[in-house]
Amino acid sequence: MLTNLTRRTLMQGLAATGLAGALGSRLALAADEPLGITLVIPSPVGDVGWGHALAAGLEPIKAAYGDKVKITVLESIAEGPDADRIMTKTVADGNKFLIAGSFGYQNGALQIARRDPSVTVLHASGFQVAPNFSPFAAKYFQGTYLLGMAAAALSKTGKLGSVSAFAIPELITSINAFTLGAQSVNPDIEVSVVWVNSWFDPAKEQEAAKALIAQKCDVIFSNAQDTPSVIAACEEAGVYSFNLNSSMKKYAEKTYLGCVATDWSPFFKASVDAHLAGSFKGANAFLGVSEQVVEVVDWNPDVPADTMTKIKEIEAKIADGSFSPFTGPVTKADGTEGIAAGVTPADPEIIAMDWHVKGVATPLPK
Amino acid sequence: MSFASGSLLPTMVRRERASLAATVLAPVLALLVALILNLSLYRLMGRDPVAIVYAMLLEPFMSWASFSEVLLKAGPLLLIAQGLAIGFRAKVFNIGAEGQFILGAIFASAIPVYFPQATGQWIWPAMLLFGAIGGALWASITAFWRVRLNANEILVSLMLSLVAAQLLNYLLLGPWKDPNGFNFPQSVMFQYDAMVPTLIAGTRLNVSFLITLVLSLAAFVFMQKSFSGYKLQVGGLAPRAAGYAGFKQGSAIWLSLLIGGFAAGLAGAAEVAGPIGQLQRSISSGYGYAAIIVAYLGGLHPIGIVVSALVMAVIYIGGDNAMVSANLPIAAVRVFQGSLLLGYLIAIAFVRYRLEWPKTAPKAADRSPS
Repeated sequence: MLTNLTRRTLMQGLAATGLAGALGSRLALAADEPLGITLVIPSPVGDVGWGHALAAGLEPIKAAYGDKVKITVLESIAEGPDADRIMTKTVADGNKFLIAGSFGYQNGALQIARRDPSVTVLHASGFQVAPNFSPFAAKYFQGTYLLGMAAAALSKTGKLGSVSAFAIPELITSINAFTLGAQSVNPDIEVSVVWVNSWFDPAKEQEAAKALIAQKCDVIFSNAQDTPSVIAACEEAGVYSFNLNSSMKKYAEKTYLGCVATDWSPFFKASVDAHLAGSFKGANAFLGVSEQVVEVVDWNPDVPADTMTKIKEIEAKIADGSFSPFTGPVTKADGTEGIAAGVTPADPEIIAMDWHVKGVATPLPK
Repeated sequence: MSFASGSLLPTMVRRERASLAATVLAPVLALLVALILNLSLYRLMGRDPVAIVYAMLLEPFMSWASFSEVLLKAGPLLLIAQGLAIGFRAKVFNIGAEGQFILGAIFASAIPVYFPQATGQWIWPAMLLFGAIGGALWASITAFWRVRLNANEILVSLMLSLVAAQLLNYLLLGPWKDPNGFNFPQSVMFQYDAMVPTLIAGTRLNVSFLITLVLSLAAFVFMQKSFSGYKLQVGGLAPRAAGYAGFKQGSAIWLSLLIGGFAAGLAGAAEVAGPIGQLQRSISSGYGYAAIIVAYLGGLHPIGIVVSALVMAVIYIGGDNAMVSANLPIAAVRVFQGSLLLGYLIAIAFVRYRLEWPKTAPKAADRSPS
């Protein structure tokens, strides 16, 4: 029945929710009771990766608020009816701040937000917005562009590869920017992609990495995997590699190219502050270098000095907003015009990007 | 299960008749042993054992809301296990219920995916029927290869589960992808009439649970009372006797797999048309495999399976509760679930078998290392 409600409301638009959210009083929060914050993630917290980065983003909140918050991390929760039940349960237990750490939690989390306006929900990688429900995503593409520049400078074969989780816009934009960054150094560069259709599958990821290496790709981008399997396989083969979210340098001392790291704490902290002040407003949070959420760390010293100087220049321009990797002209993989010359797409267009740029050799799964 | 004769080790001998008291006592004993072991573990981890036991074993029964979740979780387990058990008793080992479940979900979803605007109360029953047919069709591939080419049904059905998962991926990433879903691998949300009506307002429990209970009763009648059921059982217990009696092995295989596929497909359809409301890649959470455990825990008996499905569901829901409310790590939850099942299997082995010590062995053999 609960699912029915979501579905119906989804179809009829979000008008009703908006009203409920606006009417719902946020002042009812008991001041002396600690705020329960629950993070739900689909993979184990582990030492590295997406879940680890999310959990780490809560640490500063613990430090700042101490006893005033109670943080629970629920790991390895499969997307689907079980996740819906688990999220419902944690909110029923009195935890008023929910971070739903995977796209697949969207419908369940949205319906929780709708039922109880005093709950604040942050949802990873989604597209639904409600007064107490904010989707959040990182502008990984700002970092992957820089790594694309470094990759092209280091590649001898002119072929780059990516082991990627799902063909969703967030990951597609990362690959596109990586390709465009590489082309800014070497216009003839080619990128091959293997979609493994899983966030967490060490064996499959490693196999995919080996397949790419066998095809002469000599820099591999581990796109949204929660395991260091690709990085480790690349170290073994003596091929450069990099990944997102948190540094995996310890798994590849020699060939680790760098990490597009995410630090969620500024966003989490601001959201918790707003929740406690009763001023939280659901909005699409698309966060990048300027918001200090995305930062490239652990650069490999092998990157040539002149390339590094260029990278740093571009990085500064991304930070002050004077450069976007997607400023046109950008050609699609099928040869048609993707973005017209001189045009810089707005965030909503980037979020919805479902095509590859020219230079990505592998067609998108259809 | 016999050991080399002449050794000092005891042999396990099947009891003529398992005592009823021991059969009932075995799960209780297993629960106690698992509890003691795990509570000591929680102590060592510095967690509060009382809070954990409450969350795990009592909370699922404390309100309609949480008990309805137990029933919701038990539904697919019960349905699939009933179907599988019929085959298992005929010694037809369909391990691929997971794939049949997925095909059921796919077949059922075809209606709302291709007719998203359709209305009418015929939609959800049609989806359930489609799903059941889809599951049975998928199982029929296994039956065909087994009967025609004598291909091992365990391997074929298991492999087909992997194929089914890829088929689901293909549909969700390609033709059935929600056009407004930002390329995420999922179908459109189903319309209202494509959802199985809920049984109790405010919960997620739906009419499919009643269907499951009715089918459990049907499984009981079929296995215990009907001639077809009798033929299947004879085929399983004494294949040669069945052969002499003129019971065809081929038709036993077909019947077993079709029933198993039908039940699993129906469960898959009920899941997408129930708590999920759309086709997505994580529709199953391993029901098809867990149901094998449920079937054996229930002694392959339709009534035993009802009990074991409920027990498994409580273990799942209780484990989730302990994780959410008592802050228990998921690994510890799984250790509890595993030790409970293992404890039960050991206990039930001693209910069905007894140890026979070598007659001439000296008493000291009791303490010999095994």
